[in-house]
Parts: sequence; C-alpha cells; structure tokens
Amino acid sequence: MPLCALGQALEHEVKAAYLFRFLSFVEWPQSTFLRPDSPIVIGVLGADDVLAELREIVPGRVVQGRPVAAVRLHEGASLAGVHVLFVGREAGAQLARLAPTRGVLVVSDSERGLDQGAVVNFVRAEGRVRFEVALDAAEQRELRISSRMLAVASSVRPGKL
Amino acid sequence: MRPLRWIGASVRRKTMAVVIATTVIALLVSAAAMLFYEVRTLRETHLAELRTQAEIIGRASGPALAFKDRKAAAQDLLMLRGRPDIELAALYALDGTLFASYARAGQSGIPPRAGAPGYRLEGDSVTLFHAVTDANEDLGTVFLRSSAGLRERMQDYVAILGSVLALSLAVAWLVSVWLQRAVTGPILNVAGAARQVFERRDFSVRAEKRTEDEIGMLADTLNRMLADLEREMTERREAEGAIRAADRRKDEFLATLAHELRNPLAPIRNALYIMQAARDNPAAVAEARAIIERQLAQMVRLVDDLLDVSRITTGKLNLRKEQVDARAVAQSAIEAVEPLARARGHALRVALPPTGVTLDADPTRLAQVFLNLLNNAIKFTDPGGRIDFEVEVAAGELVARVRDSGVGIAAEMREEIFEMFAQVDRSLERSTMGLGVGLSLARRLVELHGGTISVSSAGPGKGAEFVVRIPLAGERQPAARDDRAPFARASAARPHRILLADDNLDFASSFATLLRRMGNEVRVEHDGPAALAAAGEFRPEIAFLDIGLPKLNGFDLARRLRGLSATAGSKLVAVTGWGQPSDRQLASEAGFDDYMVKPVEIERIQAILRAA
Repeated sequence: MPLCALGQALEHEVKAAYLFRFLSFVEWPQSTFLRPDSPIVIGVLGADDVLAELREIVPGRVVQGRPVAAVRLHEGASLAGVHVLFVGREAGAQLARLAPTRGVLVVSDSERGLDQGAVVNFVRAEGRVRFEVALDAAEQRELRISSRMLAVASSVRPGKL
Repeated sequence: MRPLRWIGASVRRKTMAVVIATTVIALLVSAAAMLFYEVRTLRETHLAELRTQAEIIGRASGPALAFKDRKAAAQDLLMLRGRPDIELAALYALDGTLFASYARAGQSGIPPRAGAPGYRLEGDSVTLFHAVTDANEDLGTVFLRSSAGLRERMQDYVAILGSVLALSLAVAWLVSVWLQRAVTGPILNVAGAARQVFERRDFSVRAEKRTEDEIGMLADTLNRMLADLEREMTERREAEGAIRAADRRKDEFLATLAHELRNPLAPIRNALYIMQAARDNPAAVAEARAIIERQLAQMVRLVDDLLDVSRITTGKLNLRKEQVDARAVAQSAIEAVEPLARARGHALRVALPPTGVTLDADPTRLAQVFLNLLNNAIKFTDPGGRIDFEVEVAAGELVARVRDSGVGIAAEMREEIFEMFAQVDRSLERSTMGLGVGLSLARRLVELHGGTISVSSAGPGKGAEFVVRIPLAGERQPAARDDRAPFARASAARPHRILLADDNLDFASSFATLLRRMGNEVRVEHDGPAALAAAGEFRPEIAFLDIGLPKLNGFDLARRLRGLSATAGSKLVAVTGWGQPSDRQLASEAGFDDYMVKPVEIERIQAILRAA
C-alpha cells in the first residue's frame, strides 16, 4: 500500500486536504471568475481517490468568499473555468503536453513535476507528504502565492521578478 | 484610648503623632489604591498582550498546522525566545493532539491535549488556549503560559513604598520638629509662664510674646491679666495693711477707753465713802462732792468724745452754723482750760482779735476745736511750761495758733496724729494719755467749717505748733443776737402745760421732774395713742414728742395733734434718740415747730419755754 501513512491519514487524504488548503494562499487574476460568487473549481486528472476525498471536503466550504467545487477532468479536456488542476501520478505523462494556461494552478505528483511546468509539486520527505513551489511557473500563469505558504514549502524555485 | 496614653502628656508629642499618623495613613491609602489599580491594569494588559501573542503565533503557524509541518511549527515557536515572560508554548492539531511545543529552560508542564479556548490565572502565571484559524478555517489551538511578573512587581512596589515611607517619616519628623518650634514652643512658653505664676505666686512674671498669631494674642492676654492681677494684689495688700492698722488702733483705743473710764471711778467711790463716813463734817462732804463733780465731768467729756467719734464714723456729725463772734468762741475755750493750765503750772499767753470778727460757724464745735488743741498742749507739756494761744485775721481767714514748749512731734508722726485713735506714746502708764480722738475730731470739725488744720514741730522735745485756718463770714454782718445762743443765761419763764411722750421711762420721768421743778404742769404718756388721747383733755401748750414712739410714731402723732382743735396751735417739739431717723425736714413737714436730739440740754429747754 502507500508508501507511508501520516498519522492515521492515508496519503490520498493528505493530498486532498493540501489541495484544499492551497486555495487560501493563492491569488487568481480577477478575470478568471465570471461573478463575485463564482466557485473556485478544482479539476482532478487521473487520481480518483484524491477526487473522492476532495468531494468529501469541499461541500459547504467557503474560501476567499467563494464556494469550492471539485470536478473530474479527462485527458485533453478544456481547462476553461478550472482554477486548480491536479495531475495525478498515473496521469503524470500528460503534464508535459499541457500548454501553460493563464490562471490555472497546476499541481503535480511526480518527481520532475516542476520541470514539466507544474507550479506546485508533491514530494515525500522523511516519510511525510511535502510540496515544492516554482515561482517562475506561477508568474507565467499570473498567479500570486502567499509567502506564508512558501514558508512551509520544502523547496521554492525562485521566479524572475 | 490606651494606645494614645503615652502622647497624652505633651502637646509636642501630640503634634508629632498627628503629623506622622497623617503621613503614614495617606501613604498607605494611596499605595493600596495604586497597587489595586496597578494589579488590575497589569493583568489586563498582560492578558491582552498574551492574546496578541497567541494570535501572532497562530497566524504564523497557520500554514505549518495546515500542512502538518512540525518543523516549521517548532521554528515558529522558537521566536518566543525573545519573550522571557513566556514559559511554555505549544501548538495542537485540529484533533487536539500535541503538534509542536516550546519550553523555557527549567519549565515544564505542557498539557498533552488542547483545552477549551480561554485563559486561566494560576497563582502568578496565566495560561491561555487560543484557536488558530485561517480564512475562517479552524486549524488547531495555540497554548501559552506566562508568568505575569506580579510577584516581582509587588516586591518592587513594596520596596518602593517602604523607601517612600521611610523618607516621608523623616520629612514628617522634620516638619513636626519645625512645628514644635513654631507652634508648641510658644504655647509651652506661655504655659510655663502661667505655671510659674501659680507655683511661685509671683505676679510680676510675664510670658514672652514670640509670634503675632493667636498664641501671641494668648501671651498678650495673659500678660494683661497678670498686670491687672498684680495691681489688684498690691492694692489689696495695701488695703489689708490699712485695715489692720485701723484695727490695731481700735484695739488700743478700747484698752485706753477702759482705762480712762475706770480711772474716775475710784475717786468717786472714795468720795461716797467719805460722805457716808464724815456725814457731820460739812467741809469734808463738800470736798467729796467736788471730787465727784470733777470726775463726773471728766467721764461726761469722755463719753461725749465717744459719741462724736461714732457720729463722725457714721457720717452723722452735723453743724448748726450761725453768725458767731470769733473772740467770744475763743474766750469760752480759754475759760474752760484755764483751771487745768493753772493746775499744771503753765504760763498761758493769749492774744485775741477785737469783737466784731464774724464767722459762719457752729460755736460749740468751734470752741471744741480750740479746747482740744489747748488741752493737748497742756497735757503734752511738762509742768511749768508755756502755752501760746493767738487768734488773728489774715487774708480773709481766721488764723488760730496753739503753741507749746512740750514734748514735740517726730516728723514721721505729723500726719498720723490726725488719724482716729492714734497715740504717739502707746504705753498705758502715761498719765496724760487721752482717747486719741481729739485731733482727729478737731480736724474733721475744721474741715466741716471749710478750713484747714496743720502742725509743725522742730522735733521731739522741742514743742509743737498747731494752726487752724477758717474762712471769715464775708460781707454778712451779724444779725441781732440770738437769745438761744448756748452760752446765754437762763431767765425765768412763766409756767406752761406740757405734754411729754416717750417710751423710755427713766428719761420721761427725769425730764418730767426737771420740768415740774421749773414750775410747769406736766403730763407723761408712753405711747402714741395714749398721748393723742391725753392731748384732747389736757390741752397742752407745749408737747415734747419722741419720734420712735410705739404704736403711733412721732411724725404721725404730730400730724394728728395738728388736726385736733385742742392742740392745733400748740408748740410741738420733736425729740430723737440716738440711732433714730433725725431728719429736720421730715419733722418740719409733720408739723413740728422745733427739734431736739438727746441728750437734751437744759439751756435749750429753757429757751423753748421762754419763747412759748
């Protein structure tokens, strides 16, 4: 089974929780939302267990004054209306084929995730789930990531600014 | 009041106690108030600070909690190293399990699980559980334990209070010392003066006035009181001295009086014995009667003097002034003393003015003055001496000089001899002594005549000279000679019906005998109503009425008699005894024609009978 369990929590549960937490520390361009109360949409590609867990978490939750929604994405689907794209380990190969899209926080779960254009990548360190952040990729997609989130990242790839 | 007993004794201690007690109480009250306020604000600010701190830690550790980053959380807690008051700190995950902790060296006791949010005070420390939220999301709990530092603060306060108290007490002591100098000092000074006066009975002590305030006024008042008291005490001492001297003179006078009254009694008894034993020898009997008469005269003079003295002391000595011839008055005095002067072998030289020098005077009293001076001169001059009596007119005054070659008078006695009962020689053995009232009487009589009396003497053994000055009558010349003059000879009067009313049986019967001897018809009654009843049938021409009659007094009796037809035209004569109201005015208003004071003189009675 999974490499390790974090406390009683299973790895996919942790990742789902982290994905939800990320919403608090990210600032999207205003134009990516149609209305002031449009939901923040998390799209999940190839990680059904994480999606299932997210669907447990999000109902009724409000982040930055908006509801949160989790949707399943298929290979080649449009990224319009999606704010967070999680590319699961099984779908890692597709990561390189994604064109950098404005306003989409791409979160990967592979060893070279950041090199392949992800903004945040889950890593394992000391038996725990950690994450790394690529600021250059964030800048490219016009996203702003809170320094408070960076403070707990296992590593941060600096941006150009 | 027992704790205050030790300060009860002294004003100085009281002021010191007041100053110190005030200072201490004020300090303690203000310190307690400040401490209470300080502890409250300290707690509140401390709690607020702790909450802020928890909030900051929560904010900072939010991501660490969110992403389960224990290392980051531990790092976050480490920043509390800069806060020495925070002893323990911990972060708890959402499920309440311990996530990260921090403990200052030597501190322990981190709760294993998160508690409910809120604070608790435990002795000197405050513990606080505070929820960590981020964007409305509960992330966990932060725990802080801090020592509020109350104990240290309290210790600091007590130390500060102690030193302030010590300093204040020192200042209060200085103030009370100053107060003592400025306030109690003058009070003690005044009190000391008062005590000195009381203990030593020395009224010349004065309190020193040191200040211009109320205490200064107290000192002034005390001094004024002392001055008054001193003056009064001096006056009282002098008055007491004068009273004692007068008292002593009176005692001596009484002794002398007894002696003088006793002296004539022995010869009188001897004479009576002779009269009894030598009944057949007319020459011896005549000799004995002469002795009795002489001694009796001496006693009468003594008693007269006594009466005069009491009249003077009670202010009842009145003059009956009339136009008198100075020469006649002097002559009568000379006639009275000539036998005595001759008996003592003195040479009496007399120089009188011519008749026609008139005085407005009481002839009897004026003669008495000269008589007293001449008697004195004779008495106080050893046998064979020289007495000069010169009367002349000078500067509108009658000047009478009595000069002798006798014992003289010491300078210091010159004023004193005019005092009542004064005796120059106080030995009882001196044969020539009198009652000591003569000169005093003489001076009083001269003063009543508006004149002066003075004495001069070259000293003891060198004689003395008394000078009497009396103003002349002025323009007025003597009217027709008054037949009632005391020295006028009695002439026979026709018989009268006379009513006599007096409650003194002896006086009434002797007076009635005298009047009957003169050939009058006399009726005697002893009270007012009886006299009134007798008057109706007896129809008296003359009535002698005592003023102090029983049942109906003399004044009322006179009014009733005037109302009776039988006595409306009778001659009414008031007779007053010693000590009775003797007001001529009252008598005249009651209807009396004349007025006599006991003892009545035969000459007066004869004059009245003649006139009726």
